[in-house]
Amino acid sequence: MAEEYNTDTDSMLSVYLYENGQLLEKLEGIILEKQDEECFDDSDINEIFRIMHTIKGSSGIMMFENITKVAHKLEDVFYYLRESHPDDVPHMELVEKVLDVSDFITGEIEKIKEGDEPDGDESKLLEELDEFLSRIKGEIKKQGIRLPKTNKSEEPAQFYVAPVAEADSHFYKIVIHYKNDTQMSNIRAYSATYALKEIAEDLLYSPDDILSNEASSDTILAEGFHMILQTKTGKDDVLNLIGSCETEEIDFEEITAEDFGREVVNLGRDDLDPVAEPEHDSPAPKEEKKAAPAPGDYVVKTKAAGKGKTLAKNQPKQQTIISVNVEKMDALMDLIGELVIAEAVVLQNPDLKVPGLELGNFQKASAQLSKITTELQEVIMSMRMMPLTNTFQKMKRIVFDASRKLGKDIELEVIGENTEVDKNIIEHISDPLMHLVRNSVDHGIEEDVEDRKAYGKPEKGKITLEAKNEGGKVYICVKDDGKGLNKEKLFDKAMANGLIDSSKEITDFQDKEIYRFITLPGFSTKEQVTELSGRGVGMDVVVKNIQDIGGRLDIESVEHEGSEMTLIIPLTLAIINGIVVQVENSLFVIETASIKEFVRVSEDSLIQEPGGEEYLVLRGECYSFIRLNERYHLSDAHEKIDDGIVVVLEHEGTQVCVLIDKLLQEQEIVVKPIPPYVKKVKGLSGCTQLGDGSIALILDIGGLILSEERR
Amino acid sequence: MKILLAEDDFASRKFMDKQLSRYGECDVMVDGEEAVDAFMMALEDDEPYDLACLDVMMPVMDGYQVLKAIRNIEKQKKIPKDKCVKVVMTTALNEERNVKMAFDLGCEAYVGKPIDVEKFEKVLKKLDLI
Repeated sequence: MAEEYNTDTDSMLSVYLYENGQLLEKLEGIILEKQDEECFDDSDINEIFRIMHTIKGSSGIMMFENITKVAHKLEDVFYYLRESHPDDVPHMELVEKVLDVSDFITGEIEKIKEGDEPDGDESKLLEELDEFLSRIKGEIKKQGIRLPKTNKSEEPAQFYVAPVAEADSHFYKIVIHYKNDTQMSNIRAYSATYALKEIAEDLLYSPDDILSNEASSDTILAEGFHMILQTKTGKDDVLNLIGSCETEEIDFEEITAEDFGREVVNLGRDDLDPVAEPEHDSPAPKEEKKAAPAPGDYVVKTKAAGKGKTLAKNQPKQQTIISVNVEKMDALMDLIGELVIAEAVVLQNPDLKVPGLELGNFQKASAQLSKITTELQEVIMSMRMMPLTNTFQKMKRIVFDASRKLGKDIELEVIGENTEVDKNIIEHISDPLMHLVRNSVDHGIEEDVEDRKAYGKPEKGKITLEAKNEGGKVYICVKDDGKGLNKEKLFDKAMANGLIDSSKEITDFQDKEIYRFITLPGFSTKEQVTELSGRGVGMDVVVKNIQDIGGRLDIESVEHEGSEMTLIIPLTLAIINGIVVQVENSLFVIETASIKEFVRVSEDSLIQEPGGEEYLVLRGECYSFIRLNERYHLSDAHEKIDDGIVVVLEHEGTQVCVLIDKLLQEQEIVVKPIPPYVKKVKGLSGCTQLGDGSIALILDIGGLILSEERR
Repeated sequence: MKILLAEDDFASRKFMDKQLSRYGECDVMVDGEEAVDAFMMALEDDEPYDLACLDVMMPVMDGYQVLKAIRNIEKQKKIPKDKCVKVVMTTALNEERNVKMAFDLGCEAYVGKPIDVEKFEKVLKKLDLI
C-alpha cells in the first residue's frame, strides 16, 4: 500500500499514515475475529481502547479534527465498557459501530494520502455513537453499577502543521559552456545563478567562488559552469531564465531526487547535514537509519567545516530488516532481466561459432555464470514475495459485510494465507478476488435456508478461500457450498443475450465451456440485480485482469453442491522459460510449459474445410491448425506441412497445432511488453531480445486460440 | 502580545514578520544567539515574550539549541508553566525524528515550511494566543 503516498517531503505525515494504517488493520482483525462471539473480552476492549486513544492522540497533533473527534467518541464508549463491564451490550451493534468508525477513519486517511484535506462529515457518526453510548450508560445505571468518572481527555498540547502541499519538484543538472572568448564569464555565470535563485528551492554550482575569485572565469571556460537545481519550474522556463547570451551550449538534464543527492556530494557541499538532502526512502519507523538528531546539529556554518562530519554517529547498528523502496526493487528486477539477456548475448555470441575453437574453459566459466544469474533471479524473486495474508484479511471483511447486508449466515474458511506471491501480482488480484468472493456470497449461497436443508447441507453457508503454490504457479481458489451453476440456465441466458451462435445446441458445448459463458461481457443470470453484484460486468473484468498478469480462471461446479473458481497465476511476471522457433525470418517464443509435443506430419493428415479452416488429425484426434505465416503475413515460409514442424500447444484444456519452420533453442526469456506504438496484435503477449540481439515475439497461446475460435 | 521571531533567511523573515505583526509586536532576530539574548533581555525587563517562532537552520545556534536554552532559562528562573513562552518551530526539516526531538525539547508546535497560514492561525488559537 505504500506506493502512492504523496508524502515524500513529509515524513511526519507518512509516519502518521503508516502507524494509523497498522492500527486500523489490527482493529479490524480483532473485530472480525470476535464478531461471532457474545461479547468482547477484557483484553480486546483494552486493546481497542488503546488503539482509539493512540489514533486520537496522533490525529490531534496532526490537527485532523474530524478523525480526532470520532476516535475520541469511540474511545469513550470503550472506556465505559472497560470501567464498568456492563452486561447486555448489543454485541453486533457494537461491532458495526466500530467498523463504521474504522471505515470513516480509513476513508479520511485515504484522502490524506491523496493529498486532500480530510473533510468528511463526522457529525452523523458522532450522533450515532452518542446515542449508543447513552444507551450503554442507561444499561449501566439499570444494573446498579456506579458510573465511572467521565473519561477526561486532554487536548494535545503540541501540534504539528504539515507544510503546504505543492507540486513535485524537478531536479536538473545543468552545465553551461560559454564561448571561448567570453569576457568575465564568472559574472555571466553569476547572473544566471541570480536569475535562477528566484525559482530555485535548492541551487548549487561549481566553481562556487565565482564572484570572489576572478580566476574562476578560466575554470568556467575550460570545464563549463556546473549547476544543480531543484525547482518546481519546468525546463523551458529555466532555460529562458538562464538566457542564451554568449553561451555556446547548455547541457540540460533532468535527474531524480537520489541523483540530486549524489550530485550535491559531488559538488562538494559536505557542510550540509545529510538530513537536508532530499530523502525519498519509504517511511520505516521500525529502524533508525540515522542516529537521532540533537540540538546543535543544524547550526548553519558560515564556512565549510573541515572534511567529514565529526558527529560520530556512525556506530554500526545491528539490523535484521530494512525496508526498501519498491521502485528500487523494480529497477533491480529490470537490471537482472537485462543481465540475463546480456548473459545470452555472451554465451551465444556468434564469435564462438568459429569452427575449431577450444572452448572447454569457456564452457566451465559460462556454466558458473549461468548458475549465478539463475540464483540471482531466485533471490530477487524471493525478495519481492509477500504473503497473501493482508489480501485475505480484506476478504474476511467483505464476506462479513456482504453476508450481513443480504441476511445470509456464512462462514469463511481461509487456507494457506501465508502463501507468498510477487508483490505486483498481489496488487492485481485483489480486485478480481474481491469480485469472486462477493459473487459467491451473493449468487452462490442460497437465499433460503430451506433450500439448503432440502439438499442436506448445514444451514450455515460456507465459503472457502484457499491459496497454494504449485509448480511455478499460484492457485487461489474461492469455493462455496451453494447452489452451483445451472447449465441449462446459463445456456438459455447466453442464447437470449446473443452471446452464442443461435445454430448451436447445448450438447455442442462441454461443461467448462458453458461455465465460461459467465465470463463473457454482458452476462448475468441473476434476475434481480442486488447492491453487491449482478450487473453482468464483473466476471469479464475479473478474467481480463487475470489475463493481464498471465493467469487464467478455472470454473468448476456441481449443481446444488457448490462452485469452485480457481485463479491460476504465474508466480512471477518477468522471466519465463521458453522455446525459440523460427517462421521464415521471424522469431517467436513459446512458453515451454504450454508445449505438449513437436511432431512431423504429412500432408494427408490435414483436413481443409470449405470455409478455409484447417484441421489436423493426429492419432485419431482432431485439432485446429494455425499457420503462423498466414496469421502474421510472412512470405516465403514453408507452405508444405511436410517441411515444417508442428507444435501442439495446450491452453486451458484446449489444444491447437501451430506450424513452424525451425526449432532454435530453449532458454530463459525476459518478457518485455510490446511497445505501445505497435497496435495491439492478437496472439502476442510480449517480446524479448535474444542472445544475438534479435527480437523475438512471444506467442500468447490463449489469445491465439481465442482469435482462432472467433474467426 | 510580544513575539520573538528568529529566522536567518531574508524572504522567510519578511514573510513571517508580516504574518506575525498582525497579532502583536514582533522582534526579529537573524541568528540563534541573538534570539536567546533577546529572550533574556525581555525577561530582565519583565516584559517576556508570549510567542517565539524559531527557525531551525540558523547561524551560531540552531533552533533546537535556542529552544533548549529558553526552556533551561525558564526552569532556572522558576517561571510557572503557564507563564512560559509558547514556542513554535518553523522549518523545512520536518522529518519525524526531528519533530519528535523538538516536542521532547518542549516546543508547543512544529510548523513545516512552506507554512500553511490557516493552520498556523488555528494553532495560535489553540494555544490561546489570539
